[in-house]
Amino acid sequence: MGGQVSKIMGKIFGTKEMRILMLGLDAAGKTTILYKLKLTNQDVTTIPTVGFNVESVTYKNVKFNVWDVGGQDKIRPLWRHYYSGTQGLIFVVDSSDTARIEEARSELHKIINDREMKDALLLVFANKQDVQGHLSPEEVTSALQLNKLKDKLWYVAPSVATDGTGIFEGLAWLSNNVKTPPQK
Amino acid sequence: MAARDRYGGVFADLGFTPLQRAIRNACDLSHYEPNLALNLEVADLINSKKGNAPREAAFEIVRLINSRNQNVALLALALLDICVKNCGYPFQLQISTKEFLNELVRRFPERPGLRPSRVQHRILESIEEWRQTICQTSRYKEDLGHIRDMHRLLLYKGYVFPEIRTEDAAVLNPSDNLRSAEEMEEEEREAQSAKLQELIRRGTPADLQEANRLMKIMAGYDNRHKTDYRAKAAEEVAKVQQKAKILEEMLQSQQPGETVAEGDVFEELANALRSAHPKIQRMCEEESDDPEAVHKLLEINDSIHRTIERYKLTKKGDLEAASRIPKGTLGTTTGVSTNANNELSLIDFDPEPPSSNGNAPAAPTGATSLENDLLGLSLDEPAPGGISLGPANPAGPSAASSGPEPSPGGSRPNYDILSSLNSSPVPSQSSTPVARVQQQQQQQTTATPPPVDPFASLVSASPRNASPFQGAKTAAPAAPEEDEWDFTSSLPESNALPSTNRVTVLASALRIEFVARRSPQQPRQIQVVALFSNAINEPMRELHFQVAVEKAYTLHLRPQTGRDMAPQQANGVQQEMMMDGVDVGKGNSLRMRFRVSYQVGSKRMEEQGMVPPLGIA
Repeated sequence: MGGQVSKIMGKIFGTKEMRILMLGLDAAGKTTILYKLKLTNQDVTTIPTVGFNVESVTYKNVKFNVWDVGGQDKIRPLWRHYYSGTQGLIFVVDSSDTARIEEARSELHKIINDREMKDALLLVFANKQDVQGHLSPEEVTSALQLNKLKDKLWYVAPSVATDGTGIFEGLAWLSNNVKTPPQK
Repeated sequence: MAARDRYGGVFADLGFTPLQRAIRNACDLSHYEPNLALNLEVADLINSKKGNAPREAAFEIVRLINSRNQNVALLALALLDICVKNCGYPFQLQISTKEFLNELVRRFPERPGLRPSRVQHRILESIEEWRQTICQTSRYKEDLGHIRDMHRLLLYKGYVFPEIRTEDAAVLNPSDNLRSAEEMEEEEREAQSAKLQELIRRGTPADLQEANRLMKIMAGYDNRHKTDYRAKAAEEVAKVQQKAKILEEMLQSQQPGETVAEGDVFEELANALRSAHPKIQRMCEEESDDPEAVHKLLEINDSIHRTIERYKLTKKGDLEAASRIPKGTLGTTTGVSTNANNELSLIDFDPEPPSSNGNAPAAPTGATSLENDLLGLSLDEPAPGGISLGPANPAGPSAASSGPEPSPGGSRPNYDILSSLNSSPVPSQSSTPVARVQQQQQQQTTATPPPVDPFASLVSASPRNASPFQGAKTAAPAAPEEDEWDFTSSLPESNALPSTNRVTVLASALRIEFVARRSPQQPRQIQVVALFSNAINEPMRELHFQVAVEKAYTLHLRPQTGRDMAPQQANGVQQEMMMDGVDVGKGNSLRMRFRVSYQVGSKRMEEQGMVPPLGIA
């Protein structure tokens, strides 16, 4: 009952809440993106995440609860515990790491093939666009075989996490496309 | 997706997940009684999906339990029972959440009515059942505490819980089937997964912190809490062996003419062994990189097999054929020994000392009871021969040592210092040969000797002071090959046991010998002089010797003559002690425990164990 009231209120006043899960290979820049979202104008230095970080970011009347889970291969089997209730998946790719783009592709497909993720929006950050020899967003799209996906809303956003370029544009896409109400 | 097709007809349009559809189907009004097949299907679905499925199922079921239709509610309760029993910890974790339990009793009135409805009765029964089983026996019972809280709350409100038939609920207790290291690890992983999922879902700061910690463990970054599953598996094997031994014993006491009845202890033991059989073979495969472990496992397997065969033949009444099967489990069996850290490990499979007769108590029990006895120092078993210590148990390096702590003897009210030691110098050529020290399982600190610290009245750092035992000291010169000294007796043989004897208590880097004697003046007193020798090429410092006797006797200790010993110094430190209340003839059954600590370099050593029988009357 209370949930329904707040949902109606949310409709009236336009506040939405979104559960976002941010995954990707290690050293792709997930934690940097998270804290760049949270602490907009500060420099962010991160260390490899062992475990996870979670922060709430309000942007354009949408409260994003962003879960950033470590990407090292030892932690990847634990990603599935975070799927439940996720409305948006942010998959971060290191565009300059062409050697591991295939690994990224297989991990991404593993995630979105899970039943619990089937309704989640997919936002791919083609990160590290400032590094020499990076792939363009289009190249990332084809390398990740996103065009093969059916019944999936996806978008590839170029980004440079270290200076914040492109990350709010990505969030804007998420907030414009979210339609499933948050699950209890 | 197959499920969707099957249940598609009724619920497909309503936007239910396959799991919800399966649950609704199982609790459908069209069933007059619980449909076990459908219920088990739900359980399978939960088990195969994992993740959020246990939670989803639990809340779907409780929604149906609160249905207005009593039949649906009863069907849902039957399904709940099946899930609790078949979906393990992940589901049990969900039923113990506050949310679930509150939902479960949502339709209970504030005060109990005259008599509970059928649904209420069944709910109360379930809660009582959980409280008596999983809340007590689950490995993760601390996560299930809310069930107990709900039980208490209902009790407080005046609800009466029906009685539970324990055998019905027993399936909820962990099985004692043999499990291999891999299976146990798998189980633990599954429980951790379920817990992590639940913590993330709850999402309170404390839960998230715990989730982060758990992730580190699960990802293998934090190995501090890692359980040694091989050691656990070895323990499990030992349990099976124990069962085999019991069965073997029972079969051996079986007389011709007696028949083995169905369903009695024999049957139970034999079944346990039979189910363990394939498991041991599996373990052999898992341990294939450790040939020694495999060898031991195979031996155990063979002996168990023989026992089962014997059981079968005995059951048929063919006692003669049964006795032709070589005795496998007893006597020549291999056992799991305890290593220095008191942990069982597959690597340390050692043959057990052969039992002298078929009725010998099985080793693990024997050892524990011995230890338990020693805990209270109330020994009622006959002293086992030749017990002495196992390997040293090095403790962490301690702070820098100071020399002997001089303190006046008067400050030690604990000790009634008996002065008149009229013992003659003990000849070094003394009685029996040095008792051969055997390895014994070193148990944890059990003895509680009187507080001996501070070691008092040490006249000087050097033990070379005037002492009644000067003679003994000089008589046994510091010889590097101390270990090879053979002591022979020069005393007249008494009729039974000598009145003076010398036994080796400890023979490691530190040698401790006890010279025990009875003086004619004090018939109920035994005097013991402990002689400490340094058998290594490094100086020893901070020697601290403690000893305990059974409560029936009183022990008086005189101060150690020193705390330091030079390299290879023989009899560098001595200590006298007097035991009062030991009747003549009881001297050999007197039981003592000791504990000694010392420092070599910066390393602190600690050793302890039983003093072997003193060998005097």
